[in-house]
Amino acid sequence: MFKKAIFILVAGVFLFGCAKKQVLKSDRDSMVPPGQEDVDETSIRYDDWTKISELKTVNFDYDSSVLTDSARAVLKKNAEYLKSNPDITVLVAGHCDERGTIEYNLALGQRRAAAVRRYYGNLGVKLGNIGTISYGEEDPVDPASNETAWSKNRRAETKVRKK
Amino acid sequence: MDVYLSLSAHGQRTDFAFAGFIPENESIEEAKFCRMTGAVLRADLLFSRYFNLVEGGPFFTGKDEELLKWADLGVDILIAGWVSVSGENLKVKAAMMDVGSRRHIWQRTYKGTVHEYRRLAHEINDDIVLHFTGERGIAHTKIVFTNNQTGKKELYVMDYDGQNVRRLTSDNSINILPEWSPDGEEILYTTYKHGNPDLYALKLSNNSKRAVSVVQGLNAAGSYSPDGRMIALTISAGKNPNLYLITPRGEALRKLTRGTSIETSPSFAPNGREIVFISDKPGYPQPYIMNLDGTNIRRLYTEGFSDSPAWSPRGDMIVFSMRLGRENYDLYIYNLERDRISRLTQDEKNNENPSWSPDGRFIAFTSTRSGRSEIYVIAADGSGQKKVADIPGASFTPSWSP
Repeated sequence: MFKKAIFILVAGVFLFGCAKKQVLKSDRDSMVPPGQEDVDETSIRYDDWTKISELKTVNFDYDSSVLTDSARAVLKKNAEYLKSNPDITVLVAGHCDERGTIEYNLALGQRRAAAVRRYYGNLGVKLGNIGTISYGEEDPVDPASNETAWSKNRRAETKVRKK
Repeated sequence: MDVYLSLSAHGQRTDFAFAGFIPENESIEEAKFCRMTGAVLRADLLFSRYFNLVEGGPFFTGKDEELLKWADLGVDILIAGWVSVSGENLKVKAAMMDVGSRRHIWQRTYKGTVHEYRRLAHEINDDIVLHFTGERGIAHTKIVFTNNQTGKKELYVMDYDGQNVRRLTSDNSINILPEWSPDGEEILYTTYKHGNPDLYALKLSNNSKRAVSVVQGLNAAGSYSPDGRMIALTISAGKNPNLYLITPRGEALRKLTRGTSIETSPSFAPNGREIVFISDKPGYPQPYIMNLDGTNIRRLYTEGFSDSPAWSPRGDMIVFSMRLGRENYDLYIYNLERDRISRLTQDEKNNENPSWSPDGRFIAFTSTRSGRSEIYVIAADGSGQKKVADIPGASFTPSWSP
């Protein structure tokens, strides 16, 4: 009982002492979790995003968000294009193969997208122009259940806004 | 009380019989509903696994000689009932007789429309189970899940026995990871409808939807606390996917994990004081338990890739899926008191995303054993695996209602 009282007290301090607390009013509002800065990514909502031939897709190893040497080579070329077109905003979409659970793959896809965004930043692309999204295992390019399909589905795509 | 002890403490089953329903006014319509309602009740009683159902005796119209015939078959408790239909109205009077003493031990009348005959049968079963175990049966419960038969992923709900499959959303988008609220009124889920994986809640009574957590990035794997006052979920917010606690209105309460690893799949202990979740801190996904304030994080050691943990309603077990080496995913139960892991499924392709029935005696999960992902139910002791329903397309992530 005493422990419960302490918990309620602590929760109360949290609720009333947190200046950043926000109540969601619409889709466009965003909650800032405690201890987090605002997301400095470009907003990705309410737009259609599409692939273009200048920006290539990169693939990942199983259960990994580490950029391979061949992925880095591809991303360097993508980054050159983005730097020579500094007005373009892009969405990096992280994807997974079907193995593992839906929840875990959502997080893994997010890490893949974040790894690509970070690398673009290291190469001099303006980070504020890059948004990320994870589709987890929800959007495979090849729906088959074999190694060939899985290796194609573990990927990050760099997309631009549809005009 | 004696019967309750014999049913659950010793695992012995009393010999029951269901004599069937008889029409009160002897109309053809009533005879039809006697058959249909009786068939549902019989299936519910069998599913519950509390009762040995003896067959072969006569209908019970109130005569002692009928009870004597059931007594000869070794029956202790006889369930019987009368059905009356008047226009659209259906009335079922259910009764239980102690065969030895020829006494009524329970009787209740159930009313609804003729279209609700399944619900009436479920309620009769759940009251009978309540009478003998002290806990309501689960025949009234439902299972929410996602399915891709439209080419997109939408939310669906069905009765616990696979009947009344109904699509809940028509968003033409990706809706995933549905989870019941503890009061049974809302479904939490993640939707891509607005261009970002956002956490929404769908109210079942009027199909209205509200935004719960819409930070850019992941708002996923939302799971209610047992008292319904908090939601644990994974938020990435431009950083690593970590676990947070928010209120059901989306107000931030606290950040629970701060790792650079993946933290997801939270499930509250029934006492509301601890959360089991998944972290890939060791380099692959493993279950961990932490206190509600994010402290006292400890690993549940498993030998493989482990995921989608669900804490049992009684608090003593955690069911999860695990892949050993290059095997498929199978369901396992972690017994917290004995610190022991036991296996539930084997050699049936991938078995994932377990969800407990509210009485903690069954688990709904997905299996790819038929060649596509479908929803199955298994008893918590690993017996009696059964596909819940034949539904076109692939079905995912069942969540069992309270």
